[in-house]
Amino acid sequence: MNKRIFISFTILSIFFITVLSVCGKSSDGIYPITLVDDLGSEVIIEKKPGKIVSTAPSNTEIIFALGLEDKLIGRSDFCNYPPDAEKIESIGVMTPLNLEKIISLEPDLILAYGGFGTKDIPKIRELGFKVLVIEAESITEMLHSIEFIATACGIPEKGRELTTSLEERINTVISLHSDIPDIEKPKVFTGSGFETIWSPGSGTIFDELVTLAGGKNITENQQGWVPISSELVIETQPDIIIIPTGSMNPEEVTKMKNDIIKRPGWSGLPAVKNNHIFVVNEDLLYREGPRLVEGLELLYEIFHKIRKE
Amino acid sequence: MKFSTKSEKSNLYGYSNWRYKAILIVVVGFLAILVIGFIGLNFGTIAIQPKKILSILWHHKTDDSLGLIIWELRIPRLIMAMLTGMTLASVGGGFQGILRNPLADPYILGVSAGAALGACSALAVQYTAGLYLVPFLPVFALMGAFVAISLVYLLSRKKSHLPMSDLLLAGVAVNFFFSAIITLLLAISRRETRSMLFWLMGDLSTSSWNNIYWISLPVFLGIILLVSSSLELNAIALGEEEALHLGIQTEKLRLKIFFIGSTMIAIVVSFTGLIGFVGLVIPHIARLLVGPDHRIMLPVSALSGSIFLIICDTIARTIIAPTEVPIGVITALIGSPIFIHLLKRRNENNGY
Repeated sequence: MNKRIFISFTILSIFFITVLSVCGKSSDGIYPITLVDDLGSEVIIEKKPGKIVSTAPSNTEIIFALGLEDKLIGRSDFCNYPPDAEKIESIGVMTPLNLEKIISLEPDLILAYGGFGTKDIPKIRELGFKVLVIEAESITEMLHSIEFIATACGIPEKGRELTTSLEERINTVISLHSDIPDIEKPKVFTGSGFETIWSPGSGTIFDELVTLAGGKNITENQQGWVPISSELVIETQPDIIIIPTGSMNPEEVTKMKNDIIKRPGWSGLPAVKNNHIFVVNEDLLYREGPRLVEGLELLYEIFHKIRKE
Repeated sequence: MKFSTKSEKSNLYGYSNWRYKAILIVVVGFLAILVIGFIGLNFGTIAIQPKKILSILWHHKTDDSLGLIIWELRIPRLIMAMLTGMTLASVGGGFQGILRNPLADPYILGVSAGAALGACSALAVQYTAGLYLVPFLPVFALMGAFVAISLVYLLSRKKSHLPMSDLLLAGVAVNFFFSAIITLLLAISRRETRSMLFWLMGDLSTSSWNNIYWISLPVFLGIILLVSSSLELNAIALGEEEALHLGIQTEKLRLKIFFIGSTMIAIVVSFTGLIGFVGLVIPHIARLLVGPDHRIMLPVSALSGSIFLIICDTIARTIIAPTEVPIGVITALIGSPIFIHLLKRRNENNGY
C-alpha cells in the first residue's frame, strides 16, 4: 500500500473523528468536561482553567500558538520558544518534576508530558491537581494534542482553526512531490557523529516527516528509535545526512559536519561526497508542537533542492 | 545461649550498663532526629517562614498550597528519609557482622540489583507494551528483589548449611548478572533512560503517607529483630570457631540476618530506589563513635543513618533548586570526607 495515501487518509480520518467529538459544544457551557489524556487517564475539568503550568516545550508552544500565553504561569527549563516563553517563571526540569514549585503556583491545569516515565504525575494527581498528560507520537497526534488543549481550555474553535491551517500546509507539501516515483526519492540518514548513532525508525515523528517531505528514511525498516551501526549507514549509501541539533552555533555546526565526514568509511557516501550534510534545528523535527510543520517544509526544501541537482 | 548467670554474661561482654546506654542513645537520637527534621522542613524551593511552618504543623492545615507543601511533600519525604536511612545503616551493620567483612553493605547480597532489575524492566517495557506501569514500580521492584534473594539463597546453600564465603560469592555473582541486564536495558532504551537512572541513583521525591504506612512496620520490626541478635553478632565477630565454641549456631544466625536484612532492604528500596553509601559507611562511623558492641552499635547506626539521610535529602532538594540532585550523589559526596576524617582521627588516637 502506498504509504503516502495511507498517511493522508489517517490524518483526515483522525481529523474528522476529533471534529465530530468536539462538535456541538459551545465554548462557554462546556464545563465540566471529562477528557481522556494520552496516558489513558480520565480527567474532569470543572471550570475554564485560568492558570496553566506546562511542563514541556511542546505544550508551551501549543499554548502560545493558541494565544493562551497570558494564562501560562509556569514552564520548564527547556521551554525556549517562542522567546517570550522564557519570561514566564520556570518550574525546573521535566524529570523529576519539582512538585513544591508547581504546587506553590496553584495552577488550575497542569499540561504534563512523558507521564510514562515520571512517578510525579500520580503523586500530584493524588493531591487534587488537574493533570493532562500530552504526548504525541505522530503528526496526526500532534494535531490532536492542539485540539485537545484547546478543548480543555474552552476554545475548541480556535484549536480547529489552527489545525486546519496546519493540515493545509502539510497537504501542500505532499502535493508538491506526489508525482515523484519512489526510486527517485533521496535516501536520508538522520544521526550525528557521536559514538552511538540513534536513528529514528518507523513509528517516529521524524520518519513521518521524512516520508511526507518526499524522502526515504534509511532506517524505516526499524521500529522506533534504534541505535544503529556505522556499517548499516555505509551499506544503505544515503544521499542526504540530516544532523538534528540543539545548537545552531556556526562553529559547532562545522564541527558536527566534520565529525560526520571523518567517521571511518563514510567518505565515500554520496551524501558526504556531494556535501549534502544538513544541520537542522532539532526542535523543528522532534518537538511535538505546531512547528513540526515548519520542519516538514524545511525538509521538503532540502530534498527538492537536491533532487534538482 | 548457655550462660549460667546474668553477671557472668555481662562480664563476658564487658558492658554491665549497656541497657541504660542503649536507652539513652535511643532517646537522644530521636530528639536529634526531631530537631534536624524540623530544620530540614525549613528548606525547600519555596521559602516558608519557620513561624508559618510551626503554625501549619500546629493547626494541621492542608487546605492551601503551603499546607500541602509541608504536610504532603516535605513531611512524608522527611519520614521516608528517616526510615530509609535507618534501614540501610542497620542492615549494613548486620551484614558486615555476619559476613565479617568491612566492605559489606546492604546491597552486596544481590537484593538491590534484583529490585533495580524489576523496576527498570517495568520502565523499559511500558512504552512498547503501551501500559502505564509507573504506579506499580514498587511491586515490580519487590518481585525482582525476592527473585534475587531466592537465587542467592539457592546458590549458596550447601545441604542445610549457608557458608559465609559462598553467600558472599553468590551475592556478588547475582549482583553482576543482574547489573549486566540493567546495563543492557539502559543501552537499548532511549526515552526511559533518565527515569531508570534516577531510580538507580535513589529518589525520595515521591514519598507519600501511603508509602510510609507500607514500610514502617517491616522496618521497625526488622530493626528490633536485628538488635535482638546483637549478642550472637558480637560472638561471630570474635571468629567463626570462637562463636561455635560459645554455642552460637553461626549458620542459622547468618540465614536469619540474611533474610531479615534482605526483606527490609527489598521493601525500602522498592519505594526509594538505590541510595548508596549510607549502608556501607554509617555502621563504620557508628563503630568509631561507640565501639563494636552490636547492642549499642546497631541502634546508633540506625539513628545516625536517619539523621545523615535527612541532611543529605535536604541538601539534594535545595542545592540547585528548582532542579533536584539525585540523593545518592549527595550521600557519597558528604559521607566520604566525614568517613575519612573519622578514620584518620581514630588512627592518630590509637597510634596505628
